Amino acid sequence: MNAAQKLMSVRRDFRERDVRVVLVALIIAVATVATIALFASQLQRTLVSSASSFLAADRQLEAENGRPVPPEWLEEARSRGLETGQMIEFSTMISGPEGFELASVKAVSDEYPLVGEVEIQQQASDGAREMVASGPAPGEVWINPRLLRLLNLEIGDSLEVGNLPLKVTRLLIREPDGGFRLSSLAPRVMMHVDDVAATGAVQEGSRVEYIYLFAGAEDALDGYYQWLEPKLGPSHEWEGVREGETLSRSFDRAERFLLLGGSLAVLLAAVAVAVASRQYALAQRDTVALLKTLGLQGRGIGRLYLRRLALWGIAGIVGGLLVALPLFRVLVALLSEALERPVEVYLDPSALLPALLTAVVSLFAFAYPPIRRLRRVPAMRVLRAQPGETGRAALPDLFIALLAIFGLVWLYAGELVLVGALLGGLALLLGVLGLFGLVLMAVLRRVNGGGNAWRLAFVGLYRHRQASLAQLAVFAMTIMLAATLILVRTSLLSDWQTQLPEDAPNHFLINIAPDAVEQVDAFWADRGAPLENLYPMVRGRMTELNGQPVKEAVSKDERINALNRELNLTWMEQLPEDNEIVRGRWFDASDTEGVSVEADLAERLGLELGDRLTFTIGSAEITEPVVSIRTVQWDSMKPNFYVVFPPEGGLVNMPATWITSFYLPEQKKFALNDFSREFPTVSVLEIDHIIGRIQDIVQQVTQAIETILALILAAALVVMAAVVSATLRDRQREGALIRTLGGRQSLLVRSTMLEFALLGLIAGVLGVLAAEAAVYVLQARMFDGSFRWHWQVILTLPLVSALLLALFGRWQLRTVLTVSPMLLLRRLE
Amino acid sequence: MNQMTDFTRNEARPMLRVSGLSHRVRLETDTLTILQGVSLEINRGESVAIVGRSGSGKTTLLGLLAGLDTPSEGVVELDGAEISKLGEDERAKLRASRVGFVFQSFQLLPALSAQENVMLPLELAGIEAPEARARELLERVGLGERLNHTPRQLSGGEQQRVAIARAFASDPVILFADEPTGNLDNRTGQAVSDLLMQLNREKGTTLVMVTHDERLAARCGRQLNIEAGILTEPETAREQADQ
Ligand SMILES: Nc1ncnc2c1ncn2[C@@H]1O[C@H](COP(=O)(O)OP(=O)(O)O)[C@@H](O)[C@H]1O
Ligand SMILES: [Mg+2]
Repeated sequence: MNAAQKLMSVRRDFRERDVRVVLVALIIAVATVATIALFASQLQRTLVSSASSFLAADRQLEAENGRPVPPEWLEEARSRGLETGQMIEFSTMISGPEGFELASVKAVSDEYPLVGEVEIQQQASDGAREMVASGPAPGEVWINPRLLRLLNLEIGDSLEVGNLPLKVTRLLIREPDGGFRLSSLAPRVMMHVDDVAATGAVQEGSRVEYIYLFAGAEDALDGYYQWLEPKLGPSHEWEGVREGETLSRSFDRAERFLLLGGSLAVLLAAVAVAVASRQYALAQRDTVALLKTLGLQGRGIGRLYLRRLALWGIAGIVGGLLVALPLFRVLVALLSEALERPVEVYLDPSALLPALLTAVVSLFAFAYPPIRRLRRVPAMRVLRAQPGETGRAALPDLFIALLAIFGLVWLYAGELVLVGALLGGLALLLGVLGLFGLVLMAVLRRVNGGGNAWRLAFVGLYRHRQASLAQLAVFAMTIMLAATLILVRTSLLSDWQTQLPEDAPNHFLINIAPDAVEQVDAFWADRGAPLENLYPMVRGRMTELNGQPVKEAVSKDERINALNRELNLTWMEQLPEDNEIVRGRWFDASDTEGVSVEADLAERLGLELGDRLTFTIGSAEITEPVVSIRTVQWDSMKPNFYVVFPPEGGLVNMPATWITSFYLPEQKKFALNDFSREFPTVSVLEIDHIIGRIQDIVQQVTQAIETILALILAAALVVMAAVVSATLRDRQREGALIRTLGGRQSLLVRSTMLEFALLGLIAGVLGVLAAEAAVYVLQARMFDGSFRWHWQVILTLPLVSALLLALFGRWQLRTVLTVSPMLLLRRLE
Repeated sequence: MNQMTDFTRNEARPMLRVSGLSHRVRLETDTLTILQGVSLEINRGESVAIVGRSGSGKTTLLGLLAGLDTPSEGVVELDGAEISKLGEDERAKLRASRVGFVFQSFQLLPALSAQENVMLPLELAGIEAPEARARELLERVGLGERLNHTPRQLSGGEQQRVAIARAFASDPVILFADEPTGNLDNRTGQAVSDLLMQLNREKGTTLVMVTHDERLAARCGRQLNIEAGILTEPETAREQADQ
């Protein structure tokens, strides 16, 4: 290897402190961005598939009119390469040797479930459960354990569904699509679709739903729906996972948080790379001057350093991926644990693109500019130190860097609000910092030196004022970014906690007759599981908007589920706590007309206050003006309504049943048996499994978020280390000199620690305040949460940063204190 | 272009010709004149000392003579090439093949071993078998045993000897030395200057040395004085030169 190569060799290069900082920063940036992107795309895919399993398919077509759809519809689907399946749902009496019960029957075809699995139990005695990808065979029936007890049956016994005897072969624990359908009645019986006719339970006019399942490629599904849509009648409802999907709503914000985290990682890494490479470039000036003196031309120098940069890039990317891939595996393993099922690892190659781009842009926008200017180092430098470059030379760099940061974060997060909040916060911070620096320096100038540690600390700050201000800026920026993330994380987690607390309602009671409301309420109050709010419910269809049929009033390609089915209408006096009026006003006691409409629906219908909506309820028609538009927390697990009337309003005298939700702990579930016996007409919807699952996933995503937060805080520390090490040599030399000149060690230690503590404190205060500003914007615009001051963080973070920096300063001094001053001065020559 | 880079040796011409050289630097408030009206000629094989007090402009002059910097005014002609008119890169190319340097602060690259430091200019000039040649030169300056040591492991005198080996490595026609003994104690300085003068004689290199050490200056064939940026040549020296 020749000398020039060796001079530029990777191994030697990587031994230099600044290069290591650049590399570590690059590795962290690549690792964070890649991990986040990979995990986000995995999460997306996994959640969509687990959401699909809520339908047991990718799409469902429901026929609520009690009639099957024409067979051609299914043939068409199959000819388009879609998988199809069928279910029939109805209620009927089930009889065993010792009595009978009303049950909700689901008859499924062989293909069921197209997506997801059914959880069953082979024996009543031992609790071993398993997942199977099919329903019962003809002649068999699977039943809910509660029904087993109600009818006093054993597995292997027969029961009769209508006229047909069927053999109980399994206990049905959980169906993939047992989720949110309000019509489902407990307890459940599952049988084969071919046996339905023989039961005699399904006759013309009886209440029965035909449900068709479809699965396949997205575009095939879309194509099929386009073909199907004109043929659909008013009682047909096409359901996809995208709409009304609780899970993905919850994780929208998680995903945004991950994006925010990634953007911050990019920003922090950019700062670290910029600082370290500037430091590196400064340290390289002597080498460049010498190489020029020895005859190397500017082009050659440019090539040398570009080669280096390329090597850094490769090392950063490889290193980052080496960190990201195992980390991603770990996160997927956690996800699979949370979902209690194997998750197929989905390594989306396109998710690596942002990471690569981050590395390349960081190198070229942040590392390259100071290095590029190395070509201009005068050869004369070998003879005499030249006046250092002025800040003005670095101005274009700053411009390029800002542009690059803006571009990266935008590309990465795709959210102008995010970019604006972060960069706005940073700009604000730098502005305040500039002013503050001027004032600080004016004050510090007045402080005289002297033997006192405080004075020495102030003098130290003043003497290194350029470095001090630069450090202050970087520390404050770093603290701001880290604090932003911590604050957003804290409020995100607490939002989730409040949204799905331990005792979130996990059972719905539906179809409570008005005269049974009080008894039902008392039943559960007696058993220590009081009901939450009870709401009346009237089924009705929204038919006209300002006198025009509503389907004509909205554009054709808008698919609005709410219009395709009967809506649950209600009346209430008080606005539910988690609803919020965005326009108009809530009803007051005297209101006898008007409706309040959910905001998304209002937006899609293009509703304005005062628009007149017509509802068809049974044979009656009522028309009401819109008086308010209101947001609803769909993921709150409480009864939610698109349209609300005032208590004395349009729904008076309409036939209503009541709905409620409540929390029933696992150990009290047996009470449901008594309840079904006592109130056979009330439907019970058990969603405790689903809630448990969501809580698990939330926990897992929380873990992912914490992991990523840790990565980012590591990046922040790297930035700090980069900046502090920038002044390391000066400080060591100074320390050695002070000792040579007879300064006491303790004085040196105390003044240095004080100096850094002051820096840390000031940077901490400014950083936290800027973070609050950024969080204020982010909360309002991105996470739709409400802003509040985080006093704990505001008070502790500056102290922590002061302490950390003081310790850091102390640590830096270690060599100065242990090595003889003589040796040090020589080494630092 | 061709004309400018055509550095064909012209044996008849002086190695270095300077006329009307001035150098000024702009300070925040006014301009500082560091050199004024410097003219001189140095012939092939000559050894010339430029003597003056600290701050008189010696280093600045040396930098301009060697083409490390460009003057505010005047012409510098090195080995037939008017370097004050060449671009940075052309000057670098010229230096790679014809110019050697010795500095007061040695200027070795701390990351490289003694041998690699000497190899560096050989590689930059594209000279064959740089390793062997570097070893030979280091043996010549008495450091045959220290090839793999880095500058930090060498004393000041040893470092300067490495620097001298490096300076002669690419067989320069002219060698510039800026206070080569300035950072060394008397005896070490003596030994280093002995080595420098000896090698210079052996190779017939033209030597331009800046120093404030009168004794070292006396060992050169010719002395020039510089004071406050103005170069003067003692009568006796000029007569010698004219002969
Ligand atoms: N770039 C510069 N800016 C300001 N002053 C300079 C610059 N270069 C040289 N000087 C000043 O010019 C004078 C001559 O410097 P120098 O050539 O280094 O003298 P010498 O080498 O004789 O000690 C000194 O006073 C020095 O401070
Ligand atoms: Mg000098």
